[in-house]
Amino acid sequence: MRGNRRDVLRGLGAGVALVAMPAVVRAQGADIIRIGALNPITGSGSPYGSGMQKTIFAAAEAVNAAGGAGGRKIEIVAEDGQTSPQAAVLAAKKLIEINKVSAILGTWSSGVSLAVAPLAENANVLLMHTSGAPALSTPKVNGKGLFFRFHANNERSGAAFAELCKRRKFTRPATMAFNNASGIGNVDGFRKTWEAGGGKVVESVVYEPNQPSYRSELQKVLAANPDVIVTGSYLADTTIILREWFQTGQAVAWAIPGWAVTPELIRAIGPTAAEGIMSVDAISNEDDPAFKAFDAAYQKAMSKPGQSNVYAAECWDMVNCLTLAIEAAGGSVDANTLKAKIREVANPDGQKVGSFAEGKAALKKGKINYEGASSALDFDATGDVKPTFGAWTVEGGKLVQKYKFQA
Amino acid sequence: MDAYLAAIVSVMLIYVLLALGLTLQYGLTGLINFGMVGFFAIGAYTSALLALHGVPVVLSVAAAAVVAGISAWPIGLASLRLRDDYFAIVTLGFAEIVRLTLTSEKWLTNGVQGLSRIPPIYEGTGTAAAFVIVAILLAVTVAAIFLIHRVAHSPFGRIIAAIRDNEEAVQAIGKDPARFKIQVLVVGSALAGIAGALYAHYVTYIVPEQFVALATFYVWMAVIMGGVGRVSGAVVGTAILMFFLEGSRFLGDFLPWISSVQMASIRIGVVGLALVLFTIYRPQGLMGDFTKR
Amino acid sequence: MSYLVLVQNGIAQGLIIGLAALSITLVFGIARFPNAAAGDMLTFGGYAGLFAFSATHSLLATGLAAIAATALLSLLMYYAVFRRLAGRSAVSLLVASIGVAFMIRAVLGVSFGHGQLVYEIELTRPYIVGGVRVSPLDLKLALIAFVTLAAAFGVLYMTSIGRQMRAVADNSDLARVSGIRPQRVMASLWLLAGALTAIAGVMLGMKTIVAPEIGWEILLPAFAAAIFGGIGSPIGAVAAGLILGVAQELSTPLVGFTYKIAVSFAVMCAVLVFRPRGLFGKAEAVR
Repeated sequence: MRGNRRDVLRGLGAGVALVAMPAVVRAQGADIIRIGALNPITGSGSPYGSGMQKTIFAAAEAVNAAGGAGGRKIEIVAEDGQTSPQAAVLAAKKLIEINKVSAILGTWSSGVSLAVAPLAENANVLLMHTSGAPALSTPKVNGKGLFFRFHANNERSGAAFAELCKRRKFTRPATMAFNNASGIGNVDGFRKTWEAGGGKVVESVVYEPNQPSYRSELQKVLAANPDVIVTGSYLADTTIILREWFQTGQAVAWAIPGWAVTPELIRAIGPTAAEGIMSVDAISNEDDPAFKAFDAAYQKAMSKPGQSNVYAAECWDMVNCLTLAIEAAGGSVDANTLKAKIREVANPDGQKVGSFAEGKAALKKGKINYEGASSALDFDATGDVKPTFGAWTVEGGKLVQKYKFQA
Repeated sequence: MDAYLAAIVSVMLIYVLLALGLTLQYGLTGLINFGMVGFFAIGAYTSALLALHGVPVVLSVAAAAVVAGISAWPIGLASLRLRDDYFAIVTLGFAEIVRLTLTSEKWLTNGVQGLSRIPPIYEGTGTAAAFVIVAILLAVTVAAIFLIHRVAHSPFGRIIAAIRDNEEAVQAIGKDPARFKIQVLVVGSALAGIAGALYAHYVTYIVPEQFVALATFYVWMAVIMGGVGRVSGAVVGTAILMFFLEGSRFLGDFLPWISSVQMASIRIGVVGLALVLFTIYRPQGLMGDFTKR
Repeated sequence: MSYLVLVQNGIAQGLIIGLAALSITLVFGIARFPNAAAGDMLTFGGYAGLFAFSATHSLLATGLAAIAATALLSLLMYYAVFRRLAGRSAVSLLVASIGVAFMIRAVLGVSFGHGQLVYEIELTRPYIVGGVRVSPLDLKLALIAFVTLAAAFGVLYMTSIGRQMRAVADNSDLARVSGIRPQRVMASLWLLAGALTAIAGVMLGMKTIVAPEIGWEILLPAFAAAIFGGIGSPIGAVAAGLILGVAQELSTPLVGFTYKIAVSFAVMCAVLVFRPRGLFGKAEAVR
């Protein structure tokens, strides 16, 4: 019995050694810059996470092919954030402490970004994310200014929904939100802009996820006779809600975040029910050279068009923006230097460039302004971009783009 | 590297505290608490809210223990009237009610936005700070181990063990099992509350969706693998659990043909397989008493 | 909002919960442990039915395929795991059933991914009866539920094996003495339990989506219904499912949509504390 227990402990010791081994294997050279990719491979972000991760690898490859940043090669270390704050914290600790990354790219959900933020700040590591929560760009959270948001924040996307409703001349909007930070953030942003414009929201409901039916919630909203329902929702709950709505027979328009209105959704509810549904999302910068390069890389990695994953486009820009800043800083990876350099290479005044190679060449002559695959990529004082939005409508089972606007 | 190991050890120690609470409740007394995460969440929110309002961390953690302990009181009263398996389900429901309350009462908990900027256990950065934190957690854990060890070998411990093995006999000798059960529940839940408080100050950001039933099952898995009713079992079981959960992070480096999505499923599948195999073949766990059963 | 509408929604959900609760209560009454794998068996049934539905577009074939696949899985669980644990404490079996639940979910996740699948049924506009909208799909699902319940009660109350099962539930020692072969009873029990969860899974899948987590999410309400109805009472489980479903929806004007989930747990806790044998349970079931 005694020996038995000692064996258990010995086995455990061997196990710890096994865990520690890869870190030893990865002993690093001096002229390599490590960058962490912390994407939602599993969990509710999983439809986007793999594409984001592969895009980061592809973008780094392009940078290395152009001779690296500041003469140093880029190496990407990828981790799964599991769309879960707790898992992401441990993953971020591993990236920061074991892999010694200089920046963490591509955290997706607000919960994960908020959880990783204090770690990044303490370690002086840049964090580039695609989350919506407005808190991430407040001085309280982003005290050192090391965080950069590549996606629209909730207030801006809510304002975009309000703009769409104004253009389509709706007067009686109602809202339905998934009970999490992003769902509520979206409809709150909408309400703020809509009411500032003198409008009124006739009904609003917040629902708990993972239920067999949302019909009571739906009927409460429909009872107020809205002409449009604005949602902050995800694919699974949107599918169930729209199926139930169609079966009530009451006519109403829908305005839904772009990440929930996918070909999968249209297939799930059928083209008849889907007809006329509107979606709003930040739009890629499709006419720019940066987008064409990203699109080609994305098609190669995922066999899908680049338009299908705006977060991947944002990740493409993260790598380019970061490496151009490193190039401009002469190979330095000091976070405080880079946070200024990022604005220098991305914001106006300077020659417009659409790729790392182009930017690297132009930097020799003077100032540059990187125009991204996801947006023109100009950061304001709080580290947020001001993205362009697109509005789509489902027509004959296909998503058709209707408007492009700033909000 | 050092700080990462420190991070794993820190999280492990927090889980050890939970496992110790469960060892006291289930292992020593036979109370099937499937609501560990509920008390963990109560502790986390209590301490975080107090600390955010300027209360020193030491006091807020103590308050977390008190609040979590008190909230176990009504559950303890319920336990007196219920069969073991009913009690398990009631506690599972209790944890869910706690989570829904934390989600809904925005005025207090900031709802789904969560609480951020929670003061850390120890201010400071870098590897040195990480080790100070480990030292603090270790001190708390050792104190808890000492406490449980003392309890197990006291007259009180013999009575609760007797309650586990034969409740009627305890009644027959004129002791009231009810009082003991409630005390055990309160103390075990207070431990879970301390674990939650330390978790909140460690991660510095909490949100209700972190406190789902899966966390409870992880603790159960640790206790069952380690050995029910043994303090060493709680520690070893938690170590195996962490090795397993974090190890799968590195496994991806060796088995590139398994996608991360599949890895998430495999992780939960192996947890399930371990639970089944242990209950069938090794009900006493790795560190269990092999002379019994 | 009309209360009639809320009641209707409650019934639609209550039927699914009631079917799952019936499966749980049978296992609880006869095999004497709370089967936490019921939720994931339900998910399994949802997947099995989905593939049959895509292939045939026939409701009958879908139901039969789901029943066959899930009943088989259920039997496999019994022989591989639960039979080996016979005589152990209810907790050992409960923990083992959680393990089994995780394994089922893992297999489904690895095989079919985490994305959602849907039954591609044509959505139709509702009938309007006395001002209340009734969806044809809900009527169809209710019909399926009633047929399944009728069949289950037929087996339990009109066949010899059903009487034996109930005898074991009432008093296993007495049943053994009177010559009932426990092996046969147990095998039949697990087949029936699997079949019931399969239909619940098909109904849930048709109403919503199919994904690896759907059954797990419905497990707690189903447990609540089984306990509320009184462990081992088939009629109680179904009645309690309906009552909890309706109570949950009717509570929404008072407590809002977030807390409505807590309502069924709160009812469950209250019932356990004040009337531990549930609505239809027998007094001996307590402690």
